[in-house]
Amino acid sequence: MKVSFNELQGLCRKAFTGIGFEEGDAADAADMVAWMQCHGFNAVDQLNRGLDYLLEEDPEALPKVIYQDGDLAVLDGHGQSVLRSISLATELGFAKARARGLSVVKIRRCHNRQLIMGYLSRLAGRGINITAFWRNAQEPLTEQVVGFRAGHTTPEVRIYSVRDVPEENEPNDGITLVMANHVELLPSLGADHDLDLLAHHSESALMACRERMLKDGIEVDDAIWARLKTLAHRMLVESSDASRSAAGAGVNDND
Amino acid sequence: MSNREWALAPLNLRPADEVMRLERLGSLHACRLSFVRTLMRQMGRQRWQVSRVRFDLDDNGYGTAIYRLQTPYGRYHGVMFAQALDDECRSDRVIAEAWDITFGLVEGDVDDSLLAQMAANVPLQEAGRQHSQVLVLSRANKSLRNFAHFVETLANGKQPDPQWLTRVGYLYRTTAVYGNGKFGIADFARLYDNPDFRRPFSAQMAGVYLLRHFSIEQVEHLARCQSPETACELATELRRYLGIGNSTGLGMAPFLINHPQLIAQWVTQRETALALAQHQVPSEAERARLMALTRRAQQHLAETVTEDVEQSERNAATVAALPDVLNWLESVPLDDNLWAQLVAWSERTLSLEAQELINTLLLELYPEQVDPLEEQMGVNENLDLEPDMPLMRLRQLIETHYGWALAHDYESLDGAYWFWYRSAEKEEPRLGVRHEEPGAEKEMPIAIGPRIAHSHAAICAFLEASPRAKVVDFLLAKPRHKEIIRRVQTLVKAPYGDIHANLWQRDMKPMHLLRAKLAFFGASRFDPKSDRWVRITLFQGAPLVEELNAEPKDLSHFDDWSFPLQPQYTQGSVQPAERSPQHEAARGEMSP
Repeated sequence: MKVSFNELQGLCRKAFTGIGFEEGDAADAADMVAWMQCHGFNAVDQLNRGLDYLLEEDPEALPKVIYQDGDLAVLDGHGQSVLRSISLATELGFAKARARGLSVVKIRRCHNRQLIMGYLSRLAGRGINITAFWRNAQEPLTEQVVGFRAGHTTPEVRIYSVRDVPEENEPNDGITLVMANHVELLPSLGADHDLDLLAHHSESALMACRERMLKDGIEVDDAIWARLKTLAHRMLVESSDASRSAAGAGVNDND
Repeated sequence: MSNREWALAPLNLRPADEVMRLERLGSLHACRLSFVRTLMRQMGRQRWQVSRVRFDLDDNGYGTAIYRLQTPYGRYHGVMFAQALDDECRSDRVIAEAWDITFGLVEGDVDDSLLAQMAANVPLQEAGRQHSQVLVLSRANKSLRNFAHFVETLANGKQPDPQWLTRVGYLYRTTAVYGNGKFGIADFARLYDNPDFRRPFSAQMAGVYLLRHFSIEQVEHLARCQSPETACELATELRRYLGIGNSTGLGMAPFLINHPQLIAQWVTQRETALALAQHQVPSEAERARLMALTRRAQQHLAETVTEDVEQSERNAATVAALPDVLNWLESVPLDDNLWAQLVAWSERTLSLEAQELINTLLLELYPEQVDPLEEQMGVNENLDLEPDMPLMRLRQLIETHYGWALAHDYESLDGAYWFWYRSAEKEEPRLGVRHEEPGAEKEMPIAIGPRIAHSHAAICAFLEASPRAKVVDFLLAKPRHKEIIRRVQTLVKAPYGDIHANLWQRDMKPMHLLRAKLAFFGASRFDPKSDRWVRITLFQGAPLVEELNAEPKDLSHFDDWSFPLQPQYTQGSVQPAERSPQHEAARGEMSP
């Protein structure tokens, strides 16, 4: 089915509230999903695949700072989806970059990492340059680099495959964020790198995608939509004759 | 103060603590920055044209009508579906499932395939999947008494008594006017670059304006079908005096809370306009014009009918106070700061509704200063965090700007009496009594006051241990406060964003919330049916489609339709009211 951007954002927000997200987190998560979907990244499918995990997550296990100094922070994401509260980890990087010119934030152990782009877009819009970097664990090993120019809410995205897989066993379930006040941090590929470019989403192509989606509507699977509606329904209060009669106009208005 | 000194003095906007009090917001009137007024001005200025491209109605008035709206920039179509409706199904509530008429405003042309898609879905409203070319989706119910009377009278070749429209100023009242992506229609973001409809709610108001025109053509069609030999058209004065009604309930309240930057923008423009108007050095002609406007408003309010006792008393108090205003205006010298004196005097002397009426009328005097502000009614909404702000600074900001929120007792029974929620019945917003009705655990968090107080207490406690903490440090430890903190950080820069009231308070009147928003739409004839729902009229007195199509040359006359008056009715003939703009123009008495 075709839905509008506002409809997708609104239903996601209600669904996340129904899951138990705090109000601000529900709003941020909905923004991330809607932003990603209208830029062509199939966030609704990703959300659908991750919904069962989200429903089982411990809402108290929030990202925890395990190290920080003036320019650097390392956080433990407790294996949770970036949709829940990851915005504050990125805000920490923003605050440090504002104070020191450049910051690095590493978030260990988190899922649905690609969705973080939706929130980084807001930070970039507030005037900071950002690069987000992560590698996927599966074979072939891939690497995703997302770069936002300060003041631009649409990024440049590149996905590479890594030819020579390192032997170390560090799990690839983290994100590295580099933010800078004055330095542009865009992805590029030098000739001597041992990487193959798998996909390249330019800023202009992503903006065109968004324009198209706003004009034609956003295609969403009916079953996923129904599932989100069921979650959103959790926040509705069953109606009664008393609540119905006290709510407003009469149920019959023949006058 | 000399003319020059007065002209150079800084503009002082009223403080948010005064303007954003719920009772004052609930006393606002439509003004020249209201959306129906700005839309009509734009239509007249840019020579928009309306034409009928389809009118397939049967003898009962049921069928499809399509109107084309041509602007210099683009082409739109209002597509109306009129259908039979059983009386027992006619409800103004959002929980209704069928209506007398459903319609949509479409961007671009309507081909057979789009019309078929709309015919299958628009009548279903929320239950349909709407096309992305549809900008506005709406529905309306008949005022049965007016409708039947108008058809019968016109069929007999007579004109209805204008009193019918004074009691109820419309043939149809809308019960929801959806925009911005609802049920699959176009996102508002698509209109950001559209010079016709980039202003908030302008597309919705255009849809309602086309419905007004359809309602006239439909009753005339029915009269002709009923009695082709004798039927006549509705007199021009009655057409102009005919508006479109709207029935609104609690559903409007969450919008005001969930779009604080937009509300701040609207109020800021109105307050700026008021400050600019007060700043002008008046002429005798302007004084005379204000007095003429005051008399017209007085008569309009005297003619306003409502069964609501409180609103009747408020109208009567305003009507009773206006002779004092006229006396004051007549008796004081024409000082440079006369308007500032008037506003100060009215604040000392008059009721809130009368004060805001004076403010509204002042704006009418200075279109050159006020009208450019209509382009500033939109805003890019984003509640952004400032994570690097010292937490102590945030605490100070809350204590400086949110004193109203910290002053309430949210623990008392009365201070936490209500809770707001959405019903499973079409998500209709409702109010419940805490501790008595089920559902408080699913409360919609639109009462901002208690949340501010809660966050403030948590911040104070955190600062005890970490006095040098930044906002982000606090939030990493206490993330649930994120939404309210970024709201505070954003709105201290847009201080008209939050309504200064405890929306849990037992004596809080939701009606004030509804009226505030409706006044910005341009509503008149506020007719509360309880403290939770209200009927109003839009476009009553507005120029007609035929007047628009005639490409008006005198745009200030075209725009002068606020506070419309009941036309005169003598021996079956309808003439302009004695103080109506049309009457004054006919007598050559239009003020500058």
